[in-house]
Amino acid sequence: MARDLIRLMQSFFPAPSEASRLAAWQPAVDVYRTPTGWLLKFDLAGVRPEDVTLEARGNCVTVRGVRRDWVVEEGHSYYRMEISYNNFERAVELPCCLDLASLTTDSRHGMLLVHLRTEAPR
Amino acid sequence: MTPDTDPAVVTLPVLPLKNTVLFPHLFMPLSVGRPATLAAVEAVLATEDKNLVVVAQKDAANDQPGVDDLYAVGTRAVVKKMARGDGGVELLVQGVERVALLGAEQTEPFLRVRVRPLPFPDDTSPEVEALYRSVLELAARALELSQGGEARINVAQLAAQAPDPLRLAYLIGSMLSIEVAKEQALLEAQTRAEALRLIHGYLSHEVQVLGLRQQINSQAQTEMSKQQRDYFLRQQLQAIQEELGEATPEKAEVEELRRRLKEIDLPDEVRKEAERELKRLERLPPIAPDFQVIRTYLDLVLELPWKKRTEDVIDLKAARQVLDEDHYGLDEIKERILEHLAVLKLNPGAKAPILCLVGPPGVGKTSLGQSVARALGRKFERLSLGGLHDESELRGHRRTYIGAMPGRLIQAIRRAGVNNPVLMLDEVDKLGHDFRGDPAAALLEVLDPAQNNTFRDNYLDLPFDLSKVLFLTTANALDTIPRPLLDRMELLRLSGYAEEEKMQIARRYLVPRQLKEAGVTPEQLNVPDETIRRVVARYTREAGVRELERNLGRIARKVARRFAEGQSEAVTVGPEDLSDLLGSERFRQEAARKDLQPGVSTGLAWTEAGGEVLYVEASLLPDAKGLRLTGQLGAVMRESAKAARTYVWSHAEQFGIDSDLFRHAGVHVHVPAGAVPKDGPSAGVAMVTALASLYTNLPARSDTAMTGEITLSGLVFPVGGVKEKVLAARRAGLRRVIVPRDNERDLRELPEQVRREMEFVLAERIEDALTAVIPGLSQRLHLTTVA
Repeated sequence: MARDLIRLMQSFFPAPSEASRLAAWQPAVDVYRTPTGWLLKFDLAGVRPEDVTLEARGNCVTVRGVRRDWVVEEGHSYYRMEISYNNFERAVELPCCLDLASLTTDSRHGMLLVHLRTEAPR
Repeated sequence: MTPDTDPAVVTLPVLPLKNTVLFPHLFMPLSVGRPATLAAVEAVLATEDKNLVVVAQKDAANDQPGVDDLYAVGTRAVVKKMARGDGGVELLVQGVERVALLGAEQTEPFLRVRVRPLPFPDDTSPEVEALYRSVLELAARALELSQGGEARINVAQLAAQAPDPLRLAYLIGSMLSIEVAKEQALLEAQTRAEALRLIHGYLSHEVQVLGLRQQINSQAQTEMSKQQRDYFLRQQLQAIQEELGEATPEKAEVEELRRRLKEIDLPDEVRKEAERELKRLERLPPIAPDFQVIRTYLDLVLELPWKKRTEDVIDLKAARQVLDEDHYGLDEIKERILEHLAVLKLNPGAKAPILCLVGPPGVGKTSLGQSVARALGRKFERLSLGGLHDESELRGHRRTYIGAMPGRLIQAIRRAGVNNPVLMLDEVDKLGHDFRGDPAAALLEVLDPAQNNTFRDNYLDLPFDLSKVLFLTTANALDTIPRPLLDRMELLRLSGYAEEEKMQIARRYLVPRQLKEAGVTPEQLNVPDETIRRVVARYTREAGVRELERNLGRIARKVARRFAEGQSEAVTVGPEDLSDLLGSERFRQEAARKDLQPGVSTGLAWTEAGGEVLYVEASLLPDAKGLRLTGQLGAVMRESAKAARTYVWSHAEQFGIDSDLFRHAGVHVHVPAGAVPKDGPSAGVAMVTALASLYTNLPARSDTAMTGEITLSGLVFPVGGVKEKVLAARRAGLRRVIVPRDNERDLRELPEQVRREMEFVLAERIEDALTAVIPGLSQRLHLTTVA
């Protein structure tokens, strides 16, 4: 009982390392049903592939990473900025267990495509 | 591990904040204008991740803070959005984590510092949980207080916003209006528990303040006086009305007055004055007492018929017809009115005459005014002067008085709505006067055609032209009317009606009117002439016809009742039925005395109610001296009695009178009825007759009545009211009347039938009268003159 309470409370309080992640921006996502499983399409234009980490655990797929700005050309300065940079994080819940799913990624026109194969094609 | 090698240590540009602290996780819009800060922002925007450090300044007034001027703990933040405005940059930054400032790396062109994240120790404990909950509760209470019981954010929403204790503390810290030092202390808290304790302290203070404020507010509200409340409500009402496009009623009234003033045709002087008053009105607040006063005044000015008039319809024939329709007889008056009409036809600008109708009550003076108006096609207004004893009733009060009103004249003109009505001033002889002034004097101006074109009412204070008004006044008697007033009026006498005239009036007007009033048709009820004659003779004694009409009305009602109770056949009311309908006869035919003993003569008197028969009785007073007069005789009548005695004495020899009677006996003259005051010279002939009859011991004729003033030299002077007197004599059954010769023309006023019935003796000298009335005397006179 007491242990339950403590666990409950711990769920309120994220670990300190996560503090910066709480201030992260969230990329938009489209979720598709496919014959073999799922396809997730993240709006992650301008994010280098090496800056993205992907995690599938339970029924949840989480994308984390950082979008780094770059200088388009020397001597340019901002007049308006609307795109969010720095850390991002997005968790997507799906109605099935993903622990055994195979996972492939690919990037097209600035979109990150995540294929989740949960069953063999019929 | 040295700071240089610690991988957590980073170097970031600094954005100093004045007056506030940025907490981790929270967004904050910032406006950047200082050159150094702008340079820092430029540098940040040029980086890949847009990181910077936001630190509060210790002193908000410092425009170029160095690292020492900043607090040692700040917040690493990310620029989320930016836009360039004029001269500066608008930023939206989001706090990420708190950092400790380790030292300046660069100061020019902007401050860049080394920072190290300052994470919280993992101090999750039941105390933190307990603090978290009580802070939530307090926050809810604070929200409730600050939003007046209708919290837009409830505790559940707050908890959802801040799912962990630190974020709750930061969220509340940013929402409370607390000073920078306190915010900074919250940011620098060592542990979560400390942060929560701090925010708990701030919150409870806030709740206290809010509670106190509410208390003060509610107290202040109850203390706000009713007057203030009314004022606020009025202001709100006005605001609402303006919002609805409705002007305030007062404004609308002023607008209305202005519109009317523009449309109406006014004399220049009046327009100028009205505009002046209107301007004053506009400047006054509606609650000022003068507001209503001026408004009422302007109402009057705008309503008065300054130039409005009815066009006279001048058709003499039609006018004659109208007058005849409404009134029987009264030829003299009708003539006069037609004359005036004729003048108006030839000279429309003619000044209206002022006519005074004098006559006993009930002869139709007032209704005559109405027919005059009808004949002329003018409006008719009537105002009664009876009992009026205050000049200002007539001429108004000056506007400075509270409750001031225009006088009755102006009010009557206003009612008439035109400036040339027929205005009847009723009962002009009953004007009173006291210390408040003499209304008769005020009437002098009104009734003078030479000056009433600029009649000035005290209230109106503007000249009004009354010269087109046709004034008619009425009076019962002339003796109470002041001379100057009488002088301004043209007198028209309405004498009482003779029986024949009453008959005609009853037949033509009274009977049809009373039948109509009672709801009986002429077919159902027939009232023959004999019946009317009986009512006139036996049930009424008056100069006019009011009592006659009342009696006819009573007959009509009694018969109406019979019809209402089911009778169907027509009724004819004969003279014999009258005692059933009206009761027993109220006036015996004024039985003239059958036989007169010596010393009694039949005089005639004129009263306001018509004529009356009056006996003069004389009796010797043996062993006494002088003349005794009784019967409420006035001064003139007493003198007339003395003159009569003197005349008889001086002609004693001629009349064959024993002069011892004068020496040894006094004489007493009495005129019944003793309680009625009598005056005037017209009983002179009757006095002489009574005395002559007494001294000669010869009775006077009982069928002869007489009137006339006498002189010592034996002349008979004319008197007034001959018509009424003759009618009274006739009523009494006397068929012979002695009248002064000079009154001969008055006899022409009498109805034809009366003239035929009656015998008139025209007396020029007293002897003419005496021989006519004392049969035995003529022989003596004759004898003495022969001898």
